[in-house]
Amino acid sequence: MSHHLFVLSPSDTPLYSLTHQSAKPVPSVTSPLASNLPTWSTSAFAGTLTALSGASSATQHTSGGAVRVGGGQDRHVIQMIANAGLDVIEEVMHREPTMYLKSVDKFNEWTVSAFITPGNTKFVLLHEGKNDEGIRAFFMEVWELYVKTMLNPFQTAHTVIRSGVFDSRVRASARKHL
Amino acid sequence: MDTHAFASLAHVQILLIPVGLIPQASFDVYAEEIRSYESLKLGEIPTETKDGKAARFLPNPLATGNLHLSFPTHPPPRSHYALSLLRPSHFPLAVIGVATGSQSGSLTPLYSQFNTSLNDIFPGGGIYPLVKNCWLFEETEGTENPNCGDTLPGLIVVPRIKNRKLHVGTLLGDLCSQILAEFETLVQASENPLGNEYLNASLMPSLPPLSELPSPLSSLARSDPPPTITSFTSQPDVSRNSFTLSAAPALKRNTSTNVPNARQGTLAVQVQKKRLSTIGTSSSHARHFKMLGDFFLLAGRLEDAVIWYNEALQIFRSTPDYLWYACTLEGLATAAILEAWSVTQGLNSSATSIKEPWTEVSDKLQQAIILYAKTPAPDGEQIHSLLTLLYCECVLRQTRLLFAVWSSKGWGPLAFTTMLQSGPKPYIPPTLTSDDKDNWLNLERLSSVTGITRSSISAVLTQIHGPWLLHLGQRERISILEATASFYACLGYRRKEAYILREVLGCVMDLIVCGREEDGFSHPSGVPPTSGLGIQNTGQGSNWGALGIRLSESAAGNEGVLNLLKYICRILGINLELVGLVSDTCPDTHSQTLTLTDYDEDTEEELRESSGWPELQVGVVREAVAVAEALPDFPTVAQFALSSLKSLQGVLSPSDQYHLYSTASRALITARRRGDSRVVEYWSGRPIVSISIAPLPSIRIPMEKPRSIQHKVNDLKPLIQGIADPFLYNPRKARGKGQTIVVQNEVLEFVITLQNPYIFELELHELSLSTSGVRFDSKPLHIVIPANSLHQVVLCGSPAGSGTLTIRGCIVQAPGGQAREYILPLYTAEEEERLSRKRRAILSESGRSKSVGLGRYLWNMPARRTSTQGPESPFRFLECKVIRDQPLLRIRRTSVTHGALMLYDGEKSTIRLTLENVSNIPVDFLHFAFEDSTIEPAQKALTEGNLSVFDTYETEYRLLHNPVFSWDCEENKSIAPSQNLTVTLGCFGKVGCTNGTIHISYAHAEDPDLESPDAFYVRQVSYPLMVTVYHMLECTGMDLLQFPSYPECERRSQLNQRNDRLKDLRLEHDASWCLFSIEVRNTYGSPFDVSLLRMQDGESSTSSTTTIPPGSVSRLVIPIKKVLLSEVSLAIPIPTLSDRQFVVAQSSLSQREQQLQRELFWYREELFKSISGRWHETGGTRSGELSFRNQRMTLHMLEAFRLEVAHISLSIDSDQDDGRTLNGTRYYPNANEFLQLRARITNLMPYPIVFTLDYEVNPSEHLVHEGVLVDLPVGRLESGDSREIVSSLCFLACGRFEILVKARSFGSLESDNQVSRTHITAVVKENT
Repeated sequence: MSHHLFVLSPSDTPLYSLTHQSAKPVPSVTSPLASNLPTWSTSAFAGTLTALSGASSATQHTSGGAVRVGGGQDRHVIQMIANAGLDVIEEVMHREPTMYLKSVDKFNEWTVSAFITPGNTKFVLLHEGKNDEGIRAFFMEVWELYVKTMLNPFQTAHTVIRSGVFDSRVRASARKHL
Repeated sequence: MDTHAFASLAHVQILLIPVGLIPQASFDVYAEEIRSYESLKLGEIPTETKDGKAARFLPNPLATGNLHLSFPTHPPPRSHYALSLLRPSHFPLAVIGVATGSQSGSLTPLYSQFNTSLNDIFPGGGIYPLVKNCWLFEETEGTENPNCGDTLPGLIVVPRIKNRKLHVGTLLGDLCSQILAEFETLVQASENPLGNEYLNASLMPSLPPLSELPSPLSSLARSDPPPTITSFTSQPDVSRNSFTLSAAPALKRNTSTNVPNARQGTLAVQVQKKRLSTIGTSSSHARHFKMLGDFFLLAGRLEDAVIWYNEALQIFRSTPDYLWYACTLEGLATAAILEAWSVTQGLNSSATSIKEPWTEVSDKLQQAIILYAKTPAPDGEQIHSLLTLLYCECVLRQTRLLFAVWSSKGWGPLAFTTMLQSGPKPYIPPTLTSDDKDNWLNLERLSSVTGITRSSISAVLTQIHGPWLLHLGQRERISILEATASFYACLGYRRKEAYILREVLGCVMDLIVCGREEDGFSHPSGVPPTSGLGIQNTGQGSNWGALGIRLSESAAGNEGVLNLLKYICRILGINLELVGLVSDTCPDTHSQTLTLTDYDEDTEEELRESSGWPELQVGVVREAVAVAEALPDFPTVAQFALSSLKSLQGVLSPSDQYHLYSTASRALITARRRGDSRVVEYWSGRPIVSISIAPLPSIRIPMEKPRSIQHKVNDLKPLIQGIADPFLYNPRKARGKGQTIVVQNEVLEFVITLQNPYIFELELHELSLSTSGVRFDSKPLHIVIPANSLHQVVLCGSPAGSGTLTIRGCIVQAPGGQAREYILPLYTAEEEERLSRKRRAILSESGRSKSVGLGRYLWNMPARRTSTQGPESPFRFLECKVIRDQPLLRIRRTSVTHGALMLYDGEKSTIRLTLENVSNIPVDFLHFAFEDSTIEPAQKALTEGNLSVFDTYETEYRLLHNPVFSWDCEENKSIAPSQNLTVTLGCFGKVGCTNGTIHISYAHAEDPDLESPDAFYVRQVSYPLMVTVYHMLECTGMDLLQFPSYPECERRSQLNQRNDRLKDLRLEHDASWCLFSIEVRNTYGSPFDVSLLRMQDGESSTSSTTTIPPGSVSRLVIPIKKVLLSEVSLAIPIPTLSDRQFVVAQSSLSQREQQLQRELFWYREELFKSISGRWHETGGTRSGELSFRNQRMTLHMLEAFRLEVAHISLSIDSDQDDGRTLNGTRYYPNANEFLQLRARITNLMPYPIVFTLDYEVNPSEHLVHEGVLVDLPVGRLESGDSREIVSSLCFLACGRFEILVKARSFGSLESDNQVSRTHITAVVKENT
């Protein structure tokens, strides 16, 4: 099961992104509708559709058994989904008083959870399974790490986070909770 | 297009097709007339069919309720025929051919045409359409109305009458009645056991052609109306109570009369409803019941429909027939909404419901969705596709339900209307169509009114999206995705909309590409597209020819695709139209004045904060370019690629940049080759960094000078002052003086600095200056700026007139692009200030997000309030003043070899310069100015002011009176065109000079065309020289000695020689003299003749000459007359030669000391006036001056040089003997004899003085005298008067006595210099 974390600045620019593969099995609730997908066209544009509709990752699951890291899951599509999820996040964050918005959106096989810091930095996590508490704990830890990173006077809300420490600790946290 | 109306299950679809040669306009008119009937009351539908058939679906005459019609524009594809039993509402149940004409005669061809096109559309094999009518609309009134119904079934002539619309309504009612009657046929076909077998045969069953069904069914055909039908019609009250009674006997009768089999038996048992449900051995009836429900729903009889649906549900709950179960649920949900609609027709009655009434419907639909998803995957791809279609439609249905309630502000008539709406375009409630539809508040208000959040609608809608979309047929996929996108758009979820739109684009582009390349099929542009996309070509390619030739590129539809692209990119924060696309009309760039905002735009662009998701942006931009390339629309390809380059320059990787640039260049070339008239604007940001005028060669620089200098060119003061520029033109100072002066018709070079921030080489097709004022002739440059660098180019040209030339900036043009002017104002202080303020304003706002999400993009931003800063100052541009043609001189030759001048110290020589006028304009003004290496240190020393007054004077004296170069300004000053002039310049050897420069300024001063009368322009030629000055004669030890007068000596034998010498000196004995002597050392390697010259007023000038061999020292001596300077001239302070104002005496000397200093100074000056030294190279021609100015004058020398106050002659007289007074100053008196000491004092001053006299006698103890010897009063002596003072004395011993007398003016001190002395010697002997 893979997770994709994006830390987005208030202007929706990714400051940090992480792809995490967890050992937990993917809850395979594949609809029979999604089986036996046709290969219906050879043009390049058909590839766009295949990728965007999630068909490429679906076939990946069925054929390989285990998920190949970064292979079938088109990074661009993941980013598109995370970006599209912002629509819902922005709506819900006005309504909900909490910082942690769990399972705020679903798209294709992905569930989108989000965490909004008081500075309007958004942590967006794409995940497949249901793991509310784990994700909450993960978000809280990422938040703490983020705040520590922001203490750096050279770090603004719009600066890409390149800190190696941040990266390694977020990874450790992901291993722990996801 | 499919609109996916919520109530589509209850819509009776009637397809309208044009027949014959009907113009599109009239077809539209008639179709609109028909389409205006969206629903028919059941009461308006005739219950009796023409042929007497009757059916249970026909309404009873007084029934209330409505039949809903929808008029699709196209039939479903053949692949959907499998749905014909599962979802009858998916198909057009009737076809109306719309024809026009007044031809009364032959309607047969028209009819056959109708049939042909029907066969085209419905090739057979399907059940539908049930009714086919061809309506002939008459164009003219009052023609005969042949009812051709008999001969040509289905052909109806619609007369042109006043209330034709009403007539159309009646005709539609007839049509519907026929449809309802046909339902009966279908139902009966499936009611018999065989039909039921067919019905349950597969997931999506279809009935075989009716002819294959057993005879009792076929007996239902029109030709043979069975008596059983009458039983149906005889029971018109098919009311809710009697429903089972009416239906059940029919079933019974049918089954009983047909082939008995096992199934039939069970059917027979099902007479009673209760039992039927309890048995549950076969699911077959459930499908049948569901079908009945569908037909009743279509027929507008909701109660019956609900009953049959519930009937079916009972069975489905126990049997796993997910698909049909789901369809039933959908039908039930539709029925519920229809019921609510009919109840609330006209009045709003549902305000009191506690639970939201839509939840039940929504739950049903949700259940249906789950059931669809659970349906086991079928074998055939086609079935799979249809299953997916049903699933998606169901999701859309649920979404539409929630959406309709949400957008209509709640459960009410508006919501129902929204859901029932079935026009060709999707219906959006007025709450969302207002201008501020994207207003967040507006959307949130809808949510809070209805309790349905946007996210919940989105959550429902999201279910539609998944890999199964690939199963769908192309048209369905596009349609479903479009519907999804529009939902997201209405919800204000722009990013999700963009996501879906990308998929739509993918589908469309795939069709375009495949249609073009794989089939080799090109859509003829003349044929209107069958669907809205213009690419529906499957299976029809052979009709139009399969040659792989692209007949013509139809640009139709490209616009739409491109707009979609731009929209998607805009959502992701990229403006694909950043670089405009304009028609190539080459507008005059000068006519449009650039405003401040245009100029600042670039600055703002630089500082623009990047926002959005860079990786996504890059990806989507790459796709956009690919799509535009595939269309193909070449100018747009270039536009997209260049816009992306411009806006995403910071995040694009080098390879992307390169790819985009090369794509754009290629596309532009292709576009031009194909004659496309559109070009892109200039795109690459601001390429110009700076423009500057390349410095002219110094001989060409003109300088403006006031007319006044033309006549007083010999002013030397500036030389001393040093601060002021001593030269007419100093190139070091010309910079930054504002206007540059250039000359008409002479080459002017501009250095333009260009920048290229990209990683590829930027090619500029044309680069030219944008100028105003004087015409500037130049050739535009074609340049390539290297990647990622600043680049300097030189642009040459010449101004064609005189006046002011303003350089506004540059005009640049990229290949295939439009030229654009970039202005470049001067960076004046205000401009800098303004820019930096702007920069600060932008920077202070950066990083502070005042709007979130998409609101931060400019197109979403409300108009910004900016503080007005008063009138903006207009730009100032680089300007240069162009003056008329000027002459040009050059130095043709000089007398100096190798540009080096060798001089002895103090040598005077000349050099000659030959000037040539190389222009055709005469030179009538010439001026020479000089510069040498001694000037600057001296000026510096003067400026620093640390010199004493004396040193200051010396330095200034040397600067002024001993210049290295000099010029006689009275020489000829004009040179005709191409003539020569030789000038002679004087040189003076000055130690310490190493180089010098001769500046020759010239002008055509008397130019009659000069604009201003008090100024003219000069140019300058410079001639630098190396100067070597040898220091060869060194003067030291200057001295002045007293030179007492010697009386004519009697002893000539001894004194002849001496007298000769004295004669040589040309002494005159009537005045007092002193002796000037100086030592001269020759440190050079060759001998020099050195002579001293005396030039005193009133005296003959003499000289003394010596040859000094190398290395030796000679003392030169010459007597000079003592002088006396008047008090007045001595009172003048030491002058400064310059006019410097603030010469503060730095010394704190006393009055007395200052006076002394002045005296020293003035007497020294007087001395140097009287004496001059000359040298001459022995045996050579060189000669020069020997300067004594390094020598200092001491007090002792001063006293020797100054004339005494009085002349005293002293003598000793004895009464007895005169003979012993002898020999000038030596006396031989006797001892012990009284002597008279006479002192004769003559006042030499020009004014009267009171003198006193002091004697001093040594040794004084051996002599007696009369009175005192000190302070003897002499009295006042007029000028020139003399007086004799006599005193007596007596020497008491023999020996030598010195008698000294001093005459002083009265009251002055001993140390005063106004003392004259004389002495005598008395040698006293014993009286013998």
